[in-house]
Amino acid sequence: MAKIIVVTSGKGGVGKTTSAAAIATGLALRGNKTVVIDFDVGLRNLDLIMGCERRVVYDLVNVIQGEAGLNQALIRDKRVDNLHILPASQTRDKDALTSEGVEKILETLSKDFDYILCDSPAGIERGAQLAMYYADEAIVVTNPEVSSVRDSDRILGLLASKTRRAERGEDPVKEHLLITRYNAARVDHGDMLNLEDIREILAIDLIGLIPESEAVLRASNQGVPVTHDDNSDAGQAYADTVSRLLGEEVPLRFHESQKKSLLSRMFGGGRR
Amino acid sequence: MSLNVERASMAFTFKGGMLPMTVMELASADPERIREQLSGKLSQSPAFFQHTPVVLSVEKLDEPHLALERICAVCRAHKLLPVAVRGGSDPVKQSAWALGLGWFPPSDSGRARMLEGVATTDAAPAPDESVPGRAESTASGGRIYRGTVRSGQQVTAPEGDLVVIGAVNAGAEVLAAGSVHVYGALRGRALAGIHGDTLAGIFCRELRAELLSVAGNYKRLEDIDPQLLGTSVQVTLSDAQLGITSLT
Repeated sequence: MAKIIVVTSGKGGVGKTTSAAAIATGLALRGNKTVVIDFDVGLRNLDLIMGCERRVVYDLVNVIQGEAGLNQALIRDKRVDNLHILPASQTRDKDALTSEGVEKILETLSKDFDYILCDSPAGIERGAQLAMYYADEAIVVTNPEVSSVRDSDRILGLLASKTRRAERGEDPVKEHLLITRYNAARVDHGDMLNLEDIREILAIDLIGLIPESEAVLRASNQGVPVTHDDNSDAGQAYADTVSRLLGEEVPLRFHESQKKSLLSRMFGGGRR
Repeated sequence: MSLNVERASMAFTFKGGMLPMTVMELASADPERIREQLSGKLSQSPAFFQHTPVVLSVEKLDEPHLALERICAVCRAHKLLPVAVRGGSDPVKQSAWALGLGWFPPSDSGRARMLEGVATTDAAPAPDESVPGRAESTASGGRIYRGTVRSGQQVTAPEGDLVVIGAVNAGAEVLAAGSVHVYGALRGRALAGIHGDTLAGIFCRELRAELLSVAGNYKRLEDIDPQLLGTSVQVTLSDAQLGITSLT
Protein backbone atom coordinates (compact mmCIF):
# COMPACT_ATOMS: atom_id res chain seq x y z
CA MET A 1 0.00 0.00 0.00
CA ALA A 2 1.34 3.36 -1.02
CA LYS A 3 1.44 6.35 1.25
CA ILE A 4 -0.65 9.15 -0.24
CA ILE A 5 0.81 12.60 0.40
CA VAL A 6 -0.90 15.81 -0.70
CA VAL A 7 1.19 18.92 -1.31
CA THR A 8 -1.09 21.85 -0.63
CA SER A 9 -1.12 25.47 0.55
CA GLY A 10 -4.33 27.37 -0.12
CA LYS A 11 -2.43 30.30 -1.56
CA GLY A 12 -1.06 30.17 -5.07
CA GLY A 13 2.52 30.76 -6.12
CA VAL A 14 4.12 29.59 -2.89
CA GLY A 15 5.93 26.63 -4.45
CA LYS A 16 3.56 23.68 -4.31
CA THR A 17 4.44 22.26 -7.71
CA THR A 18 8.15 22.95 -7.28
CA SER A 19 8.04 21.19 -3.92
CA ALA A 20 5.95 18.26 -5.18
CA ALA A 21 8.40 17.72 -8.05
CA ALA A 22 11.47 18.09 -5.82
CA ILE A 23 10.17 15.81 -3.08
CA ALA A 24 8.91 13.17 -5.52
CA THR A 25 12.32 13.19 -7.18
CA GLY A 26 14.04 12.92 -3.81
CA LEU A 27 11.87 9.99 -2.73
CA ALA A 28 12.55 8.18 -6.00
CA LEU A 29 16.30 8.85 -5.79
CA ARG A 30 16.22 7.17 -2.39
CA GLY A 31 14.82 4.03 -4.01
CA ASN A 32 11.10 4.50 -3.45
CA LYS A 33 8.71 3.84 -6.29
CA THR A 34 7.00 7.18 -6.57
CA VAL A 35 4.28 8.77 -8.69
CA VAL A 36 3.38 12.44 -8.67
CA ILE A 37 -0.09 13.49 -9.84
CA ASP A 38 -0.96 16.96 -11.08
CA PHE A 39 -4.43 17.87 -9.77
CA ASP A 40 -4.33 21.36 -11.22
CA VAL A 41 -6.67 20.59 -14.10
CA GLY A 42 -6.78 23.52 -16.52
CA LEU A 43 -3.48 25.00 -15.31
CA ARG A 44 -1.11 22.16 -16.04
CA ASN A 45 2.37 22.95 -14.68
CA LEU A 46 3.91 19.89 -13.13
CA ASP A 47 4.97 18.44 -16.50
CA LEU A 48 6.93 21.63 -17.21
CA ILE A 49 8.73 21.55 -13.88
CA MET A 50 9.47 17.84 -14.40
CA GLY A 51 10.62 18.49 -17.96
CA CYS A 52 8.25 16.03 -19.59
CA GLU A 53 5.80 18.39 -21.26
CA ARG A 54 6.62 17.07 -24.71
CA ARG A 55 5.75 13.54 -23.77
CA VAL A 56 2.22 14.14 -22.52
CA VAL A 57 -0.34 12.18 -24.54
CA TYR A 58 -3.09 11.27 -22.11
CA ASP A 59 -3.84 12.89 -18.77
CA LEU A 60 -5.68 12.49 -15.48
CA VAL A 61 -9.05 13.49 -16.93
CA ASN A 62 -8.69 11.06 -19.85
CA VAL A 63 -8.16 8.27 -17.35
CA ILE A 64 -11.09 9.33 -15.15
CA GLN A 65 -13.40 9.49 -18.16
CA GLY A 66 -12.24 6.14 -19.46
CA GLU A 67 -10.65 7.50 -22.63
CA ALA A 68 -7.25 6.06 -21.74
CA GLY A 69 -5.77 3.47 -19.43
CA LEU A 70 -3.72 4.51 -16.42
CA ASN A 71 -0.56 3.00 -17.88
CA GLN A 72 -1.01 4.98 -21.08
CA ALA A 73 -1.19 8.23 -19.14
CA LEU A 74 1.69 7.61 -16.74
CA ILE A 75 4.94 9.16 -17.91
CA ARG A 76 8.19 7.59 -16.82
CA ASP A 77 10.78 10.13 -15.69
CA LYS A 78 13.87 10.24 -17.90
CA ARG A 79 16.33 10.81 -15.08
CA VAL A 80 15.07 8.59 -12.26
CA ASP A 81 13.81 5.06 -12.89
CA ASN A 82 11.39 4.83 -9.98
CA LEU A 83 9.58 8.07 -10.78
CA HIS A 84 6.35 8.50 -12.73
CA ILE A 85 4.22 11.52 -13.53
CA LEU A 86 0.48 11.65 -14.11
CA PRO A 87 -0.14 14.99 -15.81
CA ALA A 88 -3.26 17.15 -15.57
CA SER A 89 -5.39 18.17 -18.50
CA GLN A 90 -4.86 21.66 -19.84
CA THR A 91 -8.07 21.85 -21.83
CA ARG A 92 -10.60 20.76 -19.22
CA ASP A 93 -11.60 22.29 -15.93
CA LYS A 94 -11.71 20.95 -12.42
CA ASP A 95 -15.33 19.82 -12.72
CA ALA A 96 -14.07 17.00 -14.89
CA LEU A 97 -12.61 15.40 -11.76
CA THR A 98 -14.91 13.02 -9.94
CA SER A 99 -14.44 11.69 -6.48
CA GLU A 100 -14.99 8.08 -7.61
CA GLY A 101 -12.58 8.51 -10.52
CA VAL A 102 -9.84 9.87 -8.27
CA GLU A 103 -10.42 7.11 -5.71
CA LYS A 104 -10.13 4.43 -8.37
CA ILE A 105 -6.88 5.84 -9.74
CA LEU A 106 -5.35 6.13 -6.28
CA GLU A 107 -6.42 2.59 -5.43
CA THR A 108 -4.83 1.21 -8.57
CA LEU A 109 -1.60 3.19 -8.09
CA SER A 110 -1.45 2.13 -4.45
CA LYS A 111 -0.77 -1.44 -5.51
CA ASP A 112 2.35 -0.58 -7.51
CA PHE A 113 3.88 2.41 -5.79
CA ASP A 114 5.41 3.27 -2.41
CA TYR A 115 4.51 6.94 -2.52
CA ILE A 116 1.79 8.88 -4.31
CA LEU A 117 2.24 12.65 -4.25
CA CYS A 118 -0.80 14.75 -5.09
CA ASP A 119 0.11 18.22 -6.31
CA SER A 120 -2.91 20.29 -5.26
CA PRO A 121 -4.17 23.35 -7.11
CA ALA A 122 -4.36 26.64 -5.20
CA GLY A 123 -7.57 27.60 -3.49
CA ILE A 124 -9.95 25.61 -1.34
CA GLU A 125 -12.42 24.56 -4.02
CA ARG A 126 -13.20 21.23 -5.60
CA GLY A 127 -9.78 20.57 -7.13
CA ALA A 128 -7.96 21.24 -3.88
CA GLN A 129 -10.48 19.26 -1.84
CA LEU A 130 -10.23 16.25 -4.14
CA ALA A 131 -6.43 16.38 -4.04
CA MET A 132 -6.47 16.19 -0.23
CA TYR A 133 -9.50 13.95 0.30
CA TYR A 134 -7.74 10.57 0.18
CA ALA A 135 -4.44 11.71 1.71
CA ASP A 136 -2.61 9.96 4.54
CA GLU A 137 -0.18 12.82 5.00
CA ALA A 138 -0.10 16.45 3.97
CA ILE A 139 2.77 18.78 3.24
CA VAL A 140 1.53 22.32 3.75
CA VAL A 141 3.71 24.72 1.78
CA THR A 142 3.95 28.16 3.37
CA ASN A 143 5.87 31.32 2.54
CA PRO A 144 7.04 33.56 5.37
CA GLU A 145 4.29 36.11 4.83
CA VAL A 146 1.05 36.80 6.65
CA SER A 147 -1.38 35.93 3.86
CA SER A 148 0.30 32.64 3.08
CA VAL A 149 0.27 31.65 6.75
CA ARG A 150 -3.41 32.44 7.06
CA ASP A 151 -4.29 30.43 3.96
CA SER A 152 -2.24 27.50 5.23
CA ASP A 153 -4.15 27.72 8.49
CA ARG A 154 -7.40 27.49 6.53
CA ILE A 155 -6.12 24.44 4.65
CA LEU A 156 -5.14 22.78 7.93
CA GLY A 157 -8.71 23.26 9.09
CA LEU A 158 -9.98 21.54 5.94
CA LEU A 159 -7.49 18.70 6.33
CA ALA A 160 -8.89 18.06 9.79
CA SER A 161 -12.50 18.02 8.64
CA LYS A 162 -12.90 17.41 4.91
CA THR A 163 -10.77 14.38 4.28
CA ARG A 164 -11.75 10.73 4.16
CA ARG A 165 -9.80 10.07 7.34
CA ALA A 166 -11.68 12.85 9.16
CA GLU A 167 -15.06 11.75 7.84
CA ARG A 168 -14.46 8.15 8.84
CA GLY A 169 -13.07 9.15 12.23
CA GLU A 170 -9.75 7.43 11.50
CA ASP A 171 -6.34 8.73 12.60
CA PRO A 172 -6.07 12.30 11.32
CA VAL A 173 -4.04 13.21 8.25
CA LYS A 174 -0.44 13.68 9.38
CA GLU A 175 0.41 17.33 8.77
CA HIS A 176 3.86 18.64 7.91
CA LEU A 177 4.91 22.24 7.51
CA LEU A 178 7.24 23.09 4.63
CA ILE A 179 8.43 26.68 4.60
CA THR A 180 9.67 27.83 1.21
CA ARG A 181 11.27 31.02 -0.08
CA TYR A 182 12.78 31.69 3.32
CA ASN A 183 15.23 34.54 3.26
CA ALA A 184 17.01 34.67 6.60
CA ALA A 185 18.49 38.11 5.97
CA ARG A 186 15.08 39.60 5.20
CA VAL A 187 13.62 37.87 8.24
CA ASP A 188 16.31 39.56 10.34
CA HIS A 189 15.23 42.88 8.85
CA GLY A 190 11.64 42.20 9.80
CA ASP A 191 10.48 42.08 6.16
CA MET A 192 9.38 38.47 6.53
CA LEU A 193 7.80 36.43 9.28
CA ASN A 194 10.34 34.40 11.15
CA LEU A 195 10.38 30.66 11.49
CA GLU A 196 9.23 30.63 15.10
CA ASP A 197 6.23 32.88 14.42
CA ILE A 198 5.05 30.64 11.61
CA ARG A 199 5.47 27.50 13.69
CA GLU A 200 3.64 29.07 16.59
CA ILE A 201 0.64 30.12 14.51
CA LEU A 202 0.30 26.90 12.52
CA ALA A 203 1.26 24.63 15.42
CA ILE A 204 2.37 21.66 13.31
CA ASP A 205 5.71 19.89 12.85
CA LEU A 206 8.26 21.44 10.53
CA ILE A 207 9.44 19.03 7.87
CA GLY A 208 11.65 21.38 5.95
CA LEU A 209 12.80 24.88 5.29
CA ILE A 210 13.77 25.84 1.75
CA PRO A 211 15.79 29.03 1.39
CA GLU A 212 14.91 31.54 -1.29
CA SER A 213 17.29 30.53 -4.04
CA GLU A 214 18.15 31.29 -7.61
CA ALA A 215 18.55 27.57 -8.12
CA VAL A 216 14.76 27.12 -7.84
CA LEU A 217 13.90 29.45 -10.68
CA ARG A 218 16.66 28.03 -12.82
CA ALA A 219 15.49 24.49 -12.15
CA SER A 220 11.88 25.35 -13.01
CA ASN A 221 12.80 26.91 -16.30
CA GLN A 222 15.06 24.03 -17.25
CA GLY A 223 12.49 21.44 -16.26
CA VAL A 224 14.87 19.70 -13.88
CA PRO A 225 13.62 19.32 -10.30
CA VAL A 226 15.94 21.23 -8.00
CA THR A 227 16.74 18.09 -6.00
CA HIS A 228 19.10 17.11 -8.84
CA ASP A 229 21.12 20.27 -8.20
CA ASP A 230 22.81 18.94 -5.09
CA ASN A 231 25.31 21.78 -4.97
CA SER A 232 22.55 24.30 -4.43
CA ASP A 233 21.16 25.30 -1.04
CA ALA A 234 17.58 24.62 -2.16
CA GLY A 235 18.53 21.21 -3.57
CA GLN A 236 20.14 20.24 -0.26
CA ALA A 237 17.21 21.60 1.72
CA TYR A 238 14.78 19.44 -0.30
CA ALA A 239 17.04 16.42 0.21
CA ASP A 240 16.88 17.10 3.98
CA THR A 241 13.11 17.36 3.74
CA VAL A 242 12.88 13.98 2.01
CA SER A 243 15.10 12.42 4.69
CA ARG A 244 12.77 13.74 7.40
CA LEU A 245 9.76 12.45 5.48
CA LEU A 246 11.44 9.04 5.56
CA GLY A 247 11.74 9.33 9.32
CA GLU A 248 15.36 10.40 9.68
CA GLU A 249 16.56 13.06 12.10
CA VAL A 250 18.28 15.83 10.17
CA PRO A 251 19.32 19.14 11.74
CA LEU A 252 17.73 22.26 10.31
CA ARG A 253 19.84 24.31 7.91
CA PHE A 254 19.56 27.63 6.08
CA HIS A 255 17.37 29.25 8.73
CA GLU A 256 20.02 31.69 9.93
CA SER A 257 21.53 34.46 7.88
CA GLN A 258 25.23 34.32 7.07
CA LYS A 259 27.29 35.50 10.01
CA LYS A 260 27.91 39.19 9.78
CA SER A 261 31.36 40.61 10.24
CA LEU A 262 32.24 42.07 13.60
CA LEU A 263 32.01 45.61 12.25
CA SER A 264 28.62 45.22 10.70
CA ARG A 265 27.39 43.59 13.88
CA MET A 266 28.64 46.58 15.88
CA PHE A 267 27.27 49.20 13.54
CA GLY A 268 24.65 47.29 11.65
CA GLY A 269 21.80 47.91 14.06
CA GLY A 270 18.33 46.93 13.01
CA ARG A 271 18.50 43.64 14.86
CA ARG A 272 15.72 42.78 17.19
CA MET B 1 -23.50 18.49 65.33
CA SER B 2 -25.91 21.05 66.69
CA LEU B 3 -26.19 22.51 63.24
CA ASN B 4 -27.27 19.21 61.73
CA VAL B 5 -29.92 18.73 64.37
CA GLU B 6 -31.29 22.17 63.69
CA ARG B 7 -31.45 21.54 59.97
CA ALA B 8 -33.16 18.22 60.45
CA SER B 9 -35.91 19.92 62.41
CA MET B 10 -36.73 22.28 59.54
CA ALA B 11 -39.22 21.16 56.93
CA PHE B 12 -37.46 23.04 54.15
CA THR B 13 -34.98 25.73 53.29
CA PHE B 14 -35.24 28.34 50.57
CA LYS B 15 -32.36 28.53 48.17
CA GLY B 16 -31.72 30.87 45.30
CA GLY B 17 -30.89 28.98 42.12
CA MET B 18 -30.48 29.46 38.41
CA LEU B 19 -31.83 26.46 36.56
CA PRO B 20 -31.58 26.04 32.83
CA MET B 21 -35.03 26.42 31.34
CA THR B 22 -36.34 25.95 27.87
CA VAL B 23 -38.35 28.92 26.67
CA MET B 24 -41.00 28.16 24.08
CA GLU B 25 -41.34 31.36 22.12
CA LEU B 26 -44.85 31.37 20.65
CA ALA B 27 -45.24 32.92 17.24
CA SER B 28 -48.84 31.77 16.92
CA ALA B 29 -51.67 31.52 19.44
CA ASP B 30 -53.44 28.82 17.45
CA PRO B 31 -53.32 25.54 19.46
CA GLU B 32 -53.76 23.51 16.26
CA ARG B 33 -50.66 25.00 14.61
CA ILE B 34 -48.68 24.43 17.79
CA ARG B 35 -49.86 20.83 17.87
CA GLU B 36 -48.76 20.24 14.28
CA GLN B 37 -45.28 21.62 14.86
CA LEU B 38 -44.84 19.74 18.13
CA SER B 39 -45.77 16.44 16.49
CA GLY B 40 -43.09 17.00 13.87
CA LYS B 41 -40.48 17.91 16.50
CA LEU B 42 -41.40 14.94 18.66
CA SER B 43 -40.61 12.49 15.90
CA GLN B 44 -37.28 14.23 15.17
CA SER B 45 -35.92 14.29 18.71
CA PRO B 46 -37.99 12.20 21.09
CA ALA B 47 -35.26 12.47 23.73
CA PHE B 48 -36.06 16.12 24.23
CA PHE B 49 -39.66 15.50 25.20
CA GLN B 50 -39.27 13.83 28.59
CA HIS B 51 -41.67 15.92 30.65
CA THR B 52 -39.33 18.81 29.98
CA PRO B 53 -40.33 21.94 31.88
CA VAL B 54 -40.91 24.90 29.57
CA VAL B 55 -41.71 28.57 29.97
CA LEU B 56 -44.26 29.74 27.42
CA SER B 57 -43.17 33.10 26.14
CA VAL B 58 -45.99 35.12 24.60
CA GLU B 59 -43.95 38.28 24.22
CA LYS B 60 -44.10 38.21 20.46
CA LEU B 61 -47.86 37.67 20.40
CA ASP B 62 -50.07 40.68 20.28
CA GLU B 63 -53.26 39.11 21.58
CA PRO B 64 -54.85 40.15 24.84
CA HIS B 65 -56.69 36.85 25.24
CA LEU B 66 -55.09 33.47 24.67
CA ALA B 67 -56.49 29.97 24.74
CA LEU B 68 -53.84 29.28 27.37
CA GLU B 69 -55.56 26.20 28.75
CA ARG B 70 -55.71 24.55 25.33
CA ILE B 71 -52.10 25.44 24.55
CA CYS B 72 -51.00 23.89 27.85
CA ALA B 73 -53.00 20.76 27.11
CA VAL B 74 -51.29 20.42 23.70
CA CYS B 75 -47.89 20.79 25.38
CA ARG B 76 -48.65 18.18 28.02
CA ALA B 77 -49.90 15.79 25.36
CA HIS B 78 -46.41 16.05 23.85
CA LYS B 79 -44.61 15.57 27.16
CA LEU B 80 -43.74 19.19 27.71
CA LEU B 81 -44.62 20.62 31.12
CA PRO B 82 -45.52 24.30 31.02
CA VAL B 83 -44.40 25.76 34.34
CA ALA B 84 -44.79 29.45 33.70
CA VAL B 85 -45.74 32.12 31.20
CA ARG B 86 -43.56 35.05 30.27
CA GLY B 87 -44.94 38.37 29.04
CA GLY B 88 -48.39 39.14 27.75
CA SER B 89 -51.30 41.27 28.89
CA ASP B 90 -52.94 41.40 32.31
CA PRO B 91 -55.68 38.87 31.38
CA VAL B 92 -52.93 36.48 30.26
CA LYS B 93 -51.25 36.86 33.64
CA GLN B 94 -54.55 36.21 35.43
CA SER B 95 -55.31 33.10 33.42
CA ALA B 96 -51.78 31.77 33.99
CA TRP B 97 -52.28 32.09 37.72
CA ALA B 98 -55.70 30.49 37.44
CA LEU B 99 -54.06 27.50 35.73
CA GLY B 100 -51.48 27.23 38.50
CA LEU B 101 -48.64 28.56 36.36
CA GLY B 102 -46.11 31.18 37.31
CA TRP B 103 -45.80 34.45 35.46
CA PHE B 104 -42.61 36.28 34.47
CA PRO B 105 -42.40 39.84 33.23
CA PRO B 106 -41.24 40.26 29.61
CA SER B 107 -37.49 39.92 29.12
CA ASP B 108 -35.36 42.83 28.05
CA SER B 109 -34.47 41.46 24.68
CA GLY B 110 -32.97 44.66 23.35
CA ARG B 111 -29.45 43.50 24.10
CA ALA B 112 -29.87 40.19 22.42
CA ARG B 113 -31.06 41.89 19.29
CA MET B 114 -28.06 44.17 19.28
CA LEU B 115 -25.86 41.12 19.25
CA GLU B 116 -27.68 39.43 16.42
CA GLY B 117 -26.59 42.38 14.33
CA VAL B 118 -22.95 41.77 15.16
CA ALA B 119 -23.03 38.04 14.82
CA THR B 120 -24.59 37.96 11.40
CA THR B 121 -22.69 40.76 9.69
CA ASP B 122 -20.00 38.63 8.15
CA ALA B 123 -19.91 35.36 10.00
CA ALA B 124 -20.23 32.63 7.41
CA PRO B 125 -21.02 29.67 9.63
CA ALA B 126 -19.15 26.55 8.70
CA PRO B 127 -20.45 24.01 11.19
CA ASP B 128 -19.49 21.07 9.00
CA GLU B 129 -15.87 22.14 9.25
CA SER B 130 -15.64 21.81 12.99
CA VAL B 131 -13.18 19.10 13.79
CA PRO B 132 -14.85 15.91 14.96
CA GLY B 133 -13.74 14.64 18.32
CA ARG B 134 -11.91 17.80 19.34
CA ALA B 135 -14.81 19.41 21.18
CA GLU B 136 -16.48 17.78 24.12
CA SER B 137 -19.53 19.02 25.97
CA THR B 138 -19.51 19.38 29.73
CA ALA B 139 -22.41 18.48 32.02
CA SER B 140 -23.11 22.15 32.62
CA GLY B 141 -23.72 22.78 28.92
CA GLY B 142 -20.30 24.23 28.21
CA ARG B 143 -17.73 22.95 25.73
CA ILE B 144 -14.03 22.21 25.87
CA TYR B 145 -12.13 22.32 22.60
CA ARG B 146 -8.61 20.93 22.40
CA GLY B 147 -6.40 22.11 19.59
CA THR B 148 -5.99 25.13 17.38
CA VAL B 149 -9.15 26.77 16.06
CA ARG B 150 -8.07 27.57 12.53
CA SER B 151 -8.95 30.25 10.01
CA GLY B 152 -12.46 29.66 8.66
CA GLN B 153 -13.53 27.47 11.56
CA GLN B 154 -16.22 28.36 14.04
CA VAL B 155 -16.57 26.78 17.47
CA THR B 156 -19.73 27.52 19.44
CA ALA B 157 -20.93 26.72 22.94
CA PRO B 158 -24.63 27.56 22.58
CA GLU B 159 -25.48 26.92 26.22
CA GLY B 160 -22.50 27.61 28.45
CA ASP B 161 -18.85 28.53 28.58
CA LEU B 162 -16.37 27.68 25.86
CA VAL B 163 -12.86 26.65 26.85
CA VAL B 164 -10.24 26.43 24.12
CA ILE B 165 -7.03 24.61 25.04
CA GLY B 166 -4.98 26.04 22.21
CA ALA B 167 -4.93 29.11 20.02
CA VAL B 168 -7.73 30.78 18.07
CA ASN B 169 -6.13 31.87 14.82
CA ALA B 170 -6.90 34.90 12.66
CA GLY B 171 -10.04 34.30 10.63
CA ALA B 172 -11.46 31.85 13.18
CA GLU B 173 -14.46 32.56 15.39
CA VAL B 174 -15.35 31.32 18.87
CA LEU B 175 -18.76 31.95 20.40
CA ALA B 176 -20.38 31.11 23.71
CA ALA B 177 -23.62 31.79 25.55
CA GLY B 178 -21.39 32.17 28.60
CA SER B 179 -17.75 33.14 28.79
CA VAL B 180 -14.95 32.36 26.37
CA HIS B 181 -11.65 31.12 27.80
CA VAL B 182 -8.66 30.72 25.52
CA TYR B 183 -5.56 29.06 26.92
CA GLY B 184 -3.37 30.29 24.11
CA ALA B 185 -3.22 33.19 21.71
CA LEU B 186 -6.54 34.74 20.69
CA ARG B 187 -6.01 36.04 17.17
CA GLY B 188 -9.48 35.58 15.71
CA ARG B 189 -12.92 36.73 16.84
CA ALA B 190 -14.35 35.96 20.24
CA LEU B 191 -17.99 36.55 21.16
CA ALA B 192 -19.17 35.87 24.70
CA GLY B 193 -22.71 36.17 26.03
CA ILE B 194 -24.28 35.62 22.62
CA HIS B 195 -27.75 35.34 24.14
CA GLY B 196 -27.30 38.57 26.01
CA ASP B 197 -25.54 37.47 29.20
CA THR B 198 -23.89 40.70 30.31
CA LEU B 199 -21.93 38.96 33.07
CA ALA B 200 -20.04 36.79 30.60
CA GLY B 201 -16.43 37.58 29.83
CA ILE B 202 -13.54 36.72 27.55
CA PHE B 203 -10.28 35.49 29.05
CA CYS B 204 -7.14 34.76 27.09
CA ARG B 205 -3.44 34.20 27.50
CA GLU B 206 -2.33 36.35 24.58
CA LEU B 207 -4.58 39.05 23.18
CA ARG B 208 -4.39 39.60 19.41
CA ALA B 209 -8.11 39.41 18.70
CA GLU B 210 -9.70 40.75 15.53
CA LEU B 211 -12.94 41.31 17.41
CA LEU B 212 -14.07 41.03 21.02
CA SER B 213 -17.74 41.06 21.93
CA VAL B 214 -19.62 40.57 25.17
CA ALA B 215 -23.44 40.54 24.96
CA GLY B 216 -23.30 42.46 21.70
CA ASN B 217 -20.91 45.19 22.82
CA TYR B 218 -17.83 44.88 20.72
CA LYS B 219 -14.35 46.21 20.09
CA ARG B 220 -12.27 45.73 16.99
CA LEU B 221 -8.53 45.18 16.97
CA GLU B 222 -8.16 48.84 16.04
CA ASP B 223 -9.98 49.93 19.21
CA ILE B 224 -7.78 47.91 21.53
CA ASP B 225 -5.02 49.68 23.47
CA PRO B 226 -1.81 48.50 21.75
CA GLN B 227 -0.17 48.18 25.16
CA LEU B 228 -2.48 45.28 25.93
CA LEU B 229 -1.73 43.37 22.74
CA GLY B 230 0.15 40.16 23.36
CA THR B 231 -0.67 40.15 27.06
CA SER B 232 -2.94 38.02 29.15
CA VAL B 233 -6.26 39.80 29.72
CA GLN B 234 -9.88 39.61 30.75
CA VAL B 235 -12.63 41.36 28.84
CA THR B 236 -15.80 42.22 30.74
CA LEU B 237 -18.75 44.57 30.55
CA SER B 238 -19.31 47.38 33.00
CA ASP B 239 -21.99 50.01 32.37
CA ALA B 240 -22.44 48.71 28.82
CA GLN B 241 -18.77 49.47 28.17
CA LEU B 242 -16.35 46.77 27.16
CA GLY B 243 -13.35 46.90 29.47
CA ILE B 244 -10.06 45.09 28.91
CA THR B 245 -7.87 44.60 31.93
CA SER B 246 -4.57 42.84 32.35
CA LEU B 247 -4.46 39.54 34.19
CA THR B 248 -0.79 39.76 35.07
